[in-house]
Amino acid sequence: MSDRPTPSPDAMIVLDGVSKRYPGQDKAVVSDLSMEIRRGEFVVLVGPSGCGKTTTLRMINRLVEPTAGRILIDGRDVTHVDGDELRRGIGYVIQQIGLLPHLTIADNIALVPKMLGVAKSERRARALELLELVGLDPALHADRHPRQLSGGQQQRVGVARALASDPPVMLMDEPFGAVDPIAREKLQTEFLRLQERIRKTIVMVTHDMDEALRLGDRIAIFDSGSRLAQFDTPLEILSNPADDFVRDFVGSGAPVRRLSLLTVADVLGTAPSTAAGAGRAIEVDPGDSVHTALEQVLAAGAEGIEVAVPEEGSRFLDLGTLLTAASQPAKVLT
Amino acid sequence: MNLLSYMSENAAYLWFLTRQHIELVLLSVLIASVVGVGLAVLTQTLPGLRRALLSVTGSLLTIPSFALFALAIPVMGLGVAPTIAALTVYGIFPILRNAVTGIEEVDPAAVEAARGLGMSSGRRLRTVILPLAWPVILNGIRTATIMLVATAAIGAVVRGPGLGQLIFQGLDRLGGANALEEALSGVIGVVCVALVLDLLFIAVAKITALRGWNV
Repeated sequence: MSDRPTPSPDAMIVLDGVSKRYPGQDKAVVSDLSMEIRRGEFVVLVGPSGCGKTTTLRMINRLVEPTAGRILIDGRDVTHVDGDELRRGIGYVIQQIGLLPHLTIADNIALVPKMLGVAKSERRARALELLELVGLDPALHADRHPRQLSGGQQQRVGVARALASDPPVMLMDEPFGAVDPIAREKLQTEFLRLQERIRKTIVMVTHDMDEALRLGDRIAIFDSGSRLAQFDTPLEILSNPADDFVRDFVGSGAPVRRLSLLTVADVLGTAPSTAAGAGRAIEVDPGDSVHTALEQVLAAGAEGIEVAVPEEGSRFLDLGTLLTAASQPAKVLT
Repeated sequence: MNLLSYMSENAAYLWFLTRQHIELVLLSVLIASVVGVGLAVLTQTLPGLRRALLSVTGSLLTIPSFALFALAIPVMGLGVAPTIAALTVYGIFPILRNAVTGIEEVDPAAVEAARGLGMSSGRRLRTVILPLAWPVILNGIRTATIMLVATAAIGAVVRGPGLGQLIFQGLDRLGGANALEEALSGVIGVVCVALVLDLLFIAVAKITALRGWNV
């Protein structure tokens, strides 16, 4: 067991030495796992199949009962509270969506409010509001049935349904796995924008590393046997993989992928100054990603970038310096 | 005397027996539905027991109805009670079988999502499983009903109510006055009852499908 450190005050979800072992199996699916997920954080669990990531997710709302350890949500030990009641307070989205085909979209969204005893007119108003929030026209969709909607639209309804009682925590099990790649990217972008507004604590499972890098504030990489190989920001995972397993799992594109996570401001500190005006430069914002800056430089056929730095005036970086700075993993830690 | 004039002369009696027949069948089907659907629900997580129940109720169906009615006599005597008991036994199998199939065919994702939203098992049954299995369950009840309309006629063996009385009385004294007409009007009555009840079930299925069985 873990030595039970006191969770930090901004921890929203705490897994404390959690294990799951099914009777008759000698190996535990999840063994002695401890994790802390902060309030408002978007954490993605990734790993090869069978690594216990989905079991871990399903233990947070106790769809799977842990055999050992404690689970705390917002400081409250929920390991032994009533499971149904606990789940009514946690959003849950699955890959297969699981809308009830015999109910209208509005009734599907209002399922949890209905269980909580919210009045009918209020439930309806809430459902319409949520449809709007996930980008579906309420007038057009509220009274339809799930089969009349496309896969992507159904998944938006699934998200709206999970948000219906405004839960502080959302659990998502490969939510974008069943939609086609083009719709998936659109849904991901939209979901990120939505999360900026609602600031839920989100735990999501995926097997897609690109999705994890795009969406996660932090990524938990699981090795087989639920070993938490690394739990850190996407940039840190790409820059300083904890071990060979993480390096292999991330794959070969790490240096290039990093470019869209690094900002120009990140590399400025490590780059040697070049004299301004040495070549044709493109003006960029310090908050732009290095990827965006490079794109602009290459598109314009320029030789470098020019960045306005508050106290030093403007700085010029030529292409070579920019790339060298961006490829030094250890130095970008902030 | 021809068939039509026999029927018009005895219209009141025929109508009485027809209503009796319908009531007998519907009551038996109701009991069989409660038992059949109930067993299907209770054995949801016990596949072994479920299979056993299906083969037991299925093999009950192979007992010739004449024999089953006769077997009921020593236990329940003559009249309405043994007729209803025997008909219920016959009705359980098609209803149970369809209820099991219907429940098994419910999309597991819908059930899983409902559980993830914090729906209790009773509520999942009411709002997810039974409504989604309903069309298949209803079909089982319909099959049982049509089957029992025919079988109920044999109930006259144990002095059961309904149109069977006409058939058996007529056959008993075949060659006598109006014997054939009596038996034939019993048969025609049974066919009509089956048709009417079948149409009724089609209507129920249509109506419940349109409204989306939402409790």
